[in-house]
Amino acid sequence: MTGLTKRGLLAGAAGIGAAAIIPSRRAAAQDMPAHERELYAAAQREGQLTWYTGQMQAEPSEAIGRAFTERYPGVRVNVVRSTSQVAFQRLSQDMRARVRQCDVFSSVDQSHLTFLKREGHLLEYRPRNAEGMLKVVRDLGDPDGLFQVTYLALYMLGRRTDRVSEAEAPKSWQDIIDPKWKDQLSVGHPGFSGAIGSWAVMMRKMYGVDYLRALERNKPQIGRSAADPVTVLNAGERTIGVGMPSATSLLSISRGNPLALIYPTDGTLMVPAPSGALKNAPNPNAAKLFMEYFTGPIYSQTVRQYFGESLRPEVPAPDGAKALDQFAAMTPTAEEVEKGIPEIREIWRDIFGV
Amino acid sequence: MPDSGTLSARGPAAVAGSRRVTWLGRLRNIEPVMLLWIALIGVLLFLVAFPLAKLFVVSFEDQRTGAFTLANYAFAYGRERYINALVNSLLLGLASATLAVILAVPMAWAVSRTDMPGKGLTWATVLGAFILPPYLSAIGWILLAGPNSGFVNRFWRDLTGFEAPLFNIFSFEGMTLVIALNSFPLVFIFVKAALDLVSSEMEDAANILGAGTWTAMRRISIPLVMPAILGGFILVFLEAISLFGVPAILGIPARLNVVTTQLWQFFEWPVRVEVAAAYAMPLLMITAGLIAVQKLLLARKGFVSQTGKGGERRLIRLGRWRWALFAWCAGVGLLAVAMPLFVLAQASFAKAWGRGFALDNLTLANYRLLIFEHEMAMQSVWNTVWFSATAATIAVLLALLIAYIVNRRLVPFGDALAFVAMAPFVIPGIVMAIGFYAAYAAPPLALYGTAALIILAFAARFLPIAYANSAAAIRAVHPEMEEAARILGSGRLHAVWRITTPLVRKALLGGWLIVFIVASRELSAAIFLVGPRTRTMAVLLYDMSEAGNFEVLAAFGGILLVITMAFVGIGMKLLGRDFMLRRG
Repeated sequence: MTGLTKRGLLAGAAGIGAAAIIPSRRAAAQDMPAHERELYAAAQREGQLTWYTGQMQAEPSEAIGRAFTERYPGVRVNVVRSTSQVAFQRLSQDMRARVRQCDVFSSVDQSHLTFLKREGHLLEYRPRNAEGMLKVVRDLGDPDGLFQVTYLALYMLGRRTDRVSEAEAPKSWQDIIDPKWKDQLSVGHPGFSGAIGSWAVMMRKMYGVDYLRALERNKPQIGRSAADPVTVLNAGERTIGVGMPSATSLLSISRGNPLALIYPTDGTLMVPAPSGALKNAPNPNAAKLFMEYFTGPIYSQTVRQYFGESLRPEVPAPDGAKALDQFAAMTPTAEEVEKGIPEIREIWRDIFGV
Repeated sequence: MPDSGTLSARGPAAVAGSRRVTWLGRLRNIEPVMLLWIALIGVLLFLVAFPLAKLFVVSFEDQRTGAFTLANYAFAYGRERYINALVNSLLLGLASATLAVILAVPMAWAVSRTDMPGKGLTWATVLGAFILPPYLSAIGWILLAGPNSGFVNRFWRDLTGFEAPLFNIFSFEGMTLVIALNSFPLVFIFVKAALDLVSSEMEDAANILGAGTWTAMRRISIPLVMPAILGGFILVFLEAISLFGVPAILGIPARLNVVTTQLWQFFEWPVRVEVAAAYAMPLLMITAGLIAVQKLLLARKGFVSQTGKGGERRLIRLGRWRWALFAWCAGVGLLAVAMPLFVLAQASFAKAWGRGFALDNLTLANYRLLIFEHEMAMQSVWNTVWFSATAATIAVLLALLIAYIVNRRLVPFGDALAFVAMAPFVIPGIVMAIGFYAAYAAPPLALYGTAALIILAFAARFLPIAYANSAAAIRAVHPEMEEAARILGSGRLHAVWRITTPLVRKALLGGWLIVFIVASRELSAAIFLVGPRTRTMAVLLYDMSEAGNFEVLAAFGGILLVITMAFVGIGMKLLGRDFMLRRG
């Protein structure tokens, strides 16, 4: 409770809403729904599961794992967090080596899960708790229920509050290719970050490849992860972050770093990030239980503390974030992502040199 | 077999002389050197040759059918961007190695041969630079020399009023500097150890013939340790072209693509191991070339300085110049250790490092999170320590045996053994990992995700360091000391155990420490071999470097440093106080 209260001071009313929900967590452990209780009994015998994730950062990912074990004592979560591309690389390598290690796989790149589904690598299991999720979230998941959206990643612009005022700050993706932002921008890399890949795909779709060339003329500092601009802005190296993830940014802001988010008028990138249990999971029951946990309320309560979007109507949006219906959003289709990202990576490297 | 006669003649006598037949005695009867040779070949085949051969074969295989093809090569060298990366890596290696030699040789000479003050500080610098992993140092240097935000550049702007930064770390020069500042200890340790063995009599002789201190150093001391300097140069070169962390952290913002970051691209889905293998092949040839050059340069010259005939070592009095040398050492220490460490420490204790230093910005929360709450942090600490220690032990034992056999020419084709032992260092860690991955990850061995895979890869990857170290140590012990023992009736193993081993023991422990430290900070080889339960600190730090949470990353770096320091401290205690500051 103390941690939450502190945050409540920072963020006001929304925090209090969350504080009211938390005490119910303990009680919930007793009155587990029947389908969860059954799975839990079986999962206890397995005792653990391994979760490859590229969705949230390391710290929240660890907390998600801990909250699961708290809710289902005796089932430990091995959290393997990296960028989504790396996580998928590891999974590909596991498969090539015919090693069964991963139970549940989470990525910000939808194409990873559609690929896994198409190749028959996903466990045929539709979590019951998914029925209680927000409609917009439910609709973004797999129609057959083999994978669910477990994270709505938002990518937007950000600024150093002490260097760029709200008035002079760019308002849209289009604004940042203005030459006045030369040497001011910071951005991740589509070869490392699936989110930046999706973003670049959308920019090409909306404004053509010339957009990226114009961006290059502004000499953005290129990092790897979409979260790199948070570090770069905190350091004061650059003043405008491009494609900054809202969760990591809000966490950094809550710690006192001089940052602010900008919701671009031409559309905040909303990347529905899916998760699925694997068919050859070494701990299939724990994997199913984890999918129930993903789609249930405790997961949303946990991620909102780390500024992840709530997936359920009864859990409020994270502190400092706009509610999902208050801003313009854009979402690439799974097909656009799957086909577009490999192309855009090559285009990007030809334009930016790395 | 030059010594088999001695062995068989001596064996039965020893057995007859004592009813207790030791394993050593038994081994003597069956020509231990030959057995050892066969065993070593087996181990080297397993650790080095097979993964490399697999890599070679795979580079000619079609990804789907496995049929012979040259398409991988055509693809790997088919684009200008890929070729540029290769050139960038070579230039980076040469520049870093040159700078490392420039930094290290005066320091080694000052510490070994002169009365320069503050030698303890210099040692601390060397140790600190060695322990500090390159990727941590790179992050520290971003804080110091980021073109806009770096402390150094801000200070420079305030001082001069210029707009342009003094030094942009996101550049080729920046990468060179960070790599050299992290790897100069390799040169220092080799050169210092070699200088320690040069007796003052040689310099005295030069002095008597009219040479001053400067000339004697230039014409006598430094040429005598040329093998060590060259060895260090080559190691730094190879380290530089194999690094993944620094190019990823500094090179991408600098828009500089190098071999390792290019290889990473070949590992993007769909994984093109075959192309990566083809792309890695020229590096093997470069190594072969380097070793040939080294041989050529050192050929037909004698470098033996430890003869068992005594010899005095005195410190050279430098007068006022000792302060100039001290300033040099202190400057390197400042750049390599003190400054990056200071900014990292500041970040690790900060709530929000963007706010800079302020009392209300101080916190221990980052450390608390890692030590008590983080699921992987402590596990990775333990993994790191025991993987590195095991790998170092394997590497040093193996290297010593090979170095001895090769140096004393006990077997035919000894040079081939040496080549195989040296080969791994030239392969970028990522490629080494691919080789191991291709060879051993899948059944029948199915080592993927196990500790064994990482330990073996570490042992193989750092075998060259251990080997260079052992070879230098063995080379400096003239065979006549062993021969004296042999003449007095000792067997070869006995002579080695009682004469050679004590003489090289400290060098070996030094080698062990070096391997331990570099293994504990190794990123390139580890990043593709770790499984969920075998992540090392380096991999976790790299993952954190992408996570935008710099405060926690810096704190974890702090933990890594404290652990390594503790380990080195224990090592030094075991080795005796004189180990690090030994004089002659």
